[in-house]
Amino acid sequence: MDQEILKVENVTKKFPGVVALDRVSFSVRRGEVHALVGENGAGKSTLMKILAGALQPDEGLIYLKGKEVAIQNTQQARDLGISIIYQEFNLLPDLSVVQNIFLGREKFGRYPFLNYQRMAQEARDLLTQLGAEVSPYALVRELGVAQQQQVEIAKALSVNADVVIMDEPTASLGEHEVGKLFQIISSLKERGVTVIYISHRLEEIFKIADSVTVLKDGKCMGTYSVQELDEMKLVKLMVGRSFSETFPPRGKERGEVILEVKELSCPPLLKEINLKVHRGEIVGLFGLVGAGRTELAKTLFGVYPHYRGNIVINGKVLHLTSCRKAILHGISYVPEDRKEEGLCLDLSVRENSALPIIDKFKKTLFVDDQAMDSMIQRLVEALRIKTPSLRQRVKFLSGGNQQKVVLAKWLATEPRLIIFDEPTRGIDVGAKAEIYQIMRELASRGNGILMISSELPEVIGLSDRIYVMHQGKIVREFPSTEQLTEEEIMVYATGLSKV
Amino acid sequence: MKSTSIARAEWQNLVGKYGIAIVLVVLFVTAGIISPVFYRSANIFNVLQQASALGIVSIGQTLVILVGGIDLSIGSIMATSCVFAAALMRGQNHLVLPVAAFCLGIGVLAGLINGLIVTRRNAPPFIVTLGTALIFQGIRFVYTKGAPFGSIPSIVRFLGKGGIGFLPASVIIFLLLSGCFALVLRKTAYGRKIYAIGVNRRVSHLSGINVANVVLSTYVLSGLFAAFGGLVLAGYLGFGDNWAGKGYELDAIAAVVVGGTSLAGGKGGIGGTVVGVLIMTIVFNMVLLAGLPYQFQQIVKGLIIAVSVAFYSYLGKED
Ligand SMILES: Nc1ncnc2c1ncn2[C@@H]1O[C@H](COP(=O)(O)OP(=O)(O)OP(=O)(O)O)[C@@H](O)[C@H]1O
Ligand SMILES: [Mg+2]
Repeated sequence: MDQEILKVENVTKKFPGVVALDRVSFSVRRGEVHALVGENGAGKSTLMKILAGALQPDEGLIYLKGKEVAIQNTQQARDLGISIIYQEFNLLPDLSVVQNIFLGREKFGRYPFLNYQRMAQEARDLLTQLGAEVSPYALVRELGVAQQQQVEIAKALSVNADVVIMDEPTASLGEHEVGKLFQIISSLKERGVTVIYISHRLEEIFKIADSVTVLKDGKCMGTYSVQELDEMKLVKLMVGRSFSETFPPRGKERGEVILEVKELSCPPLLKEINLKVHRGEIVGLFGLVGAGRTELAKTLFGVYPHYRGNIVINGKVLHLTSCRKAILHGISYVPEDRKEEGLCLDLSVRENSALPIIDKFKKTLFVDDQAMDSMIQRLVEALRIKTPSLRQRVKFLSGGNQQKVVLAKWLATEPRLIIFDEPTRGIDVGAKAEIYQIMRELASRGNGILMISSELPEVIGLSDRIYVMHQGKIVREFPSTEQLTEEEIMVYATGLSKV
Repeated sequence: MKSTSIARAEWQNLVGKYGIAIVLVVLFVTAGIISPVFYRSANIFNVLQQASALGIVSIGQTLVILVGGIDLSIGSIMATSCVFAAALMRGQNHLVLPVAAFCLGIGVLAGLINGLIVTRRNAPPFIVTLGTALIFQGIRFVYTKGAPFGSIPSIVRFLGKGGIGFLPASVIIFLLLSGCFALVLRKTAYGRKIYAIGVNRRVSHLSGINVANVVLSTYVLSGLFAAFGGLVLAGYLGFGDNWAGKGYELDAIAAVVVGGTSLAGGKGGIGGTVVGVLIMTIVFNMVLLAGLPYQFQQIVKGLIIAVSVAFYSYLGKED
């Protein structure tokens, strides 16, 4: 049990303008769950991509089961028994779920034809274990982020590897799905499979990990067993200062109603939704995966113009037929799917952040790049986006930093009503606290905030008021969050208590 | 041991930026070595003149391709504009302004039709513009009953054939337009939107950009430039030719691609297209100067496109 399965020695990886990994060494014991933590941009994903053969190190050695290996490509990593769940999904949107899961490893029947039945069956089993309600024949394009995440997990598990790397597998999952994943991790562990686990949700680390390696600015800060750590210590190792995850104080006074939704229905999911958001308050919107939160948010942003019912902004009934119109009326929507809906990955930090407000920077005919740069620079500093320059293309940023660019982009619009859909997905503890602070300030300046989140502590800690959704309906409103417990909310979210 | 990966990335970056310009310079030198006639001012004049009609329509094509579209109707629009110019100007200078405006109007209308079908019906531009090309062609055939008539007045002839020293009038216009649109793409909000749409249409839409209108506008500009290119060709030829712009749509696409603009949209620009146009034209000229039959142009054209595509995909590999 105690033998090393994987050892990394003095691995260095540089990118233009960044040293992503600086002589990192660490080792993993066979059959353990080894957590890897660090701030956004610390180098976690880079290190894992090197182990998975997706990147080549500039220097350093990798030992697998005591033997030195050079992992040239992903195929080779898989042959060596390493499988990975990428943070940025690696799925082909126009293929079905089965096709994606078995891509490049298709199963054949007795004849030289693909045996789709067998593959679909295996896919279905895996997905059921994960608690995913996804048909193996559904197109990936049609799935929500959480379901895509589950497909990505199923894909990695279907390999039967000795080492499974999980890069933020729970970032977009709800509590229930996380529970299922943890069951799978335990059973993997029983079978002697080694798991390397990356997450910014520290409570998860203490729940499932045996040991923890901390990365900071590309350097290894050491490996610890979970027993010798607590959250405070871990945060201090990661961030370099101690710090407790506290939420800013709740809003004191709320102003008039900024958004009122009356009897809103939008097929196929949303039914008779009523809700209000006042100026100065943060309203939480909680629900399980598939409850219709994102659909509601997008309807309010004009994405689904075929809704019925009324959306009232500042006392005026609006027919929201396009996002453009929503933005003109001061509504912003921070999407949960940063790759498909949030960012133009091939454009720079600057172009992305300025996209919705590009028309505001006109100086005579041309865009005033200086004014734009100085405004974006301020946001980059406020959100502590780690990027070598404003001109860096966002696809070269770490996952968490990409998420921050999405936030910067929508904060720059100075909206009156802002809808956040999983705003802290993949964001590290330190930055999370800062984002909570920014959200609270936005609200106290008289704006309304509607926040969707799958993290209950976040919903309870940050919101002034909470709506709970279940199967396309709002099933409960909690007018105050002071004494609220997670269980109370879950009862309604799971539909155990019908109103 | 592999610290060279950064050096490699930077090298690729440099080559990506200036490689195509270097190719142009090399071509310019070898052309002279193959045939000293190349450097004669009459020949240079000739090359630039040929480059300009292609160049003008390639600007429009670049815009369309940047938003992820394609316009196969520009050749047909050029011929239609050319035929109407001859028929309606009837060789009279005082008719130039109104008729030119009319021809450009036809171009705008044609672009509007293309753009509306593509954006409102969400139809694939390849098929749409292939279809409308036939429609525009049919219209001019119906109008001329197959035999174009009329002639081109001297003002327009100067536009197509005249010039100052070794600089043809048309190339000056081409370069001015290129400069303008290079600036539009780099510096204006409209240009930034074009790139954003090319990179990710959905994200652009969700960012409040009026995607349909921007895409539509690129087709309109492409139609307008095609009509203008048709006038330049009319001036060069001196008569209405039913097939004046034949093959220009593909040559324009080739020039755009050789210039480094990605057919997937979102990457590239006018500067590259200008260089691409010059490369294409110089190569055609070299084939002629080398005494090879016209058909060789096609082989060489094909080769350039294939090589440049391979080259750009090699550069894109690090991404
Ligand atoms: N292909 C690349 N080109 C340039 N820089 C890169 C590239 N990939 C990663 N980087 C940089 O390397 C650093 C480490 O990135 P990495 O993705 O490993 O961070 P991470 O620890 O996974 O962060 P997160 O928690 O946000 O996912 C970051 O500063 C990032 O900008
Ligand atoms: Mg990462």
